[in-house]
Amino acid sequence: KEQYYSEQHSSLINKAYQTLLNPLSRGLYLLELNGVEPAQETDCDADSVFLMEIMEINEKLAEPKNENILEEIETLIKVKQEELTKEVTAAFERDDLQEAKKLLAKMKYFANLEDKLKNKKIPS
Amino acid sequence: LVGAPACGDVMKLQVEVDENGRIVDARFKTFGCGSAIASSSLATEWVKGKTVDEALKIKNTDIAKELCLPPVKLHCSMLAEDAIKAALADYKLKQDPNKEESEKKA
Repeated sequence: KEQYYSEQHSSLINKAYQTLLNPLSRGLYLLELNGVEPAQETDCDADSVFLMEIMEINEKLAEPKNENILEEIETLIKVKQEELTKEVTAAFERDDLQEAKKLLAKMKYFANLEDKLKNKKIPS
Repeated sequence: LVGAPACGDVMKLQVEVDENGRIVDARFKTFGCGSAIASSSLATEWVKGKTVDEALKIKNTDIAKELCLPPVKLHCSMLAEDAIKAALADYKLKQDPNKEESEKKA
């Protein structure tokens, strides 16, 4: 019975750690703690510039593997994620939860790109 | 061009509308899960040959039903419906009465 409890707690702690470690999941959790739901509504033409950028990166990633381009994309994604993390931090600091929500939605797109990039880099 | 912030999927739907307001061609490009790709593919097929007003009647529930989408993927069909609406709204916005044909995208 003790072992069961220990396992449960261990699992929870791991989950908590992972959540807090990653800026996106951390940010989303903070939103949740403040009673704000993460963005659910479709992003549309209002954000078309941003969506086009995401589209372009996706298209580049879909092309046959090219080391140089992959490196370029990796750097771009990293820079964008760092920028967004800073902006989200600032938004939370001034209690602008709606802005944080918008920015976290953007981060989600980049997180997906990061995953796709990782898969692309795995030797096939 | 539409995006789903919850899952980070992006969907591009392009429509070509003739002078009679009928959609003569449609193309899609979607980056996301299989359900999102299937939803946009189906939406593309469905809008072809329809008038703008007919296409606007397409509901996400129709798409989800046709594809037998599980509850967790219902938002993909919603994204497809939004893509159709966005493409057609864009068409209406840019509509030039002097032009014979318009190619609009969302």
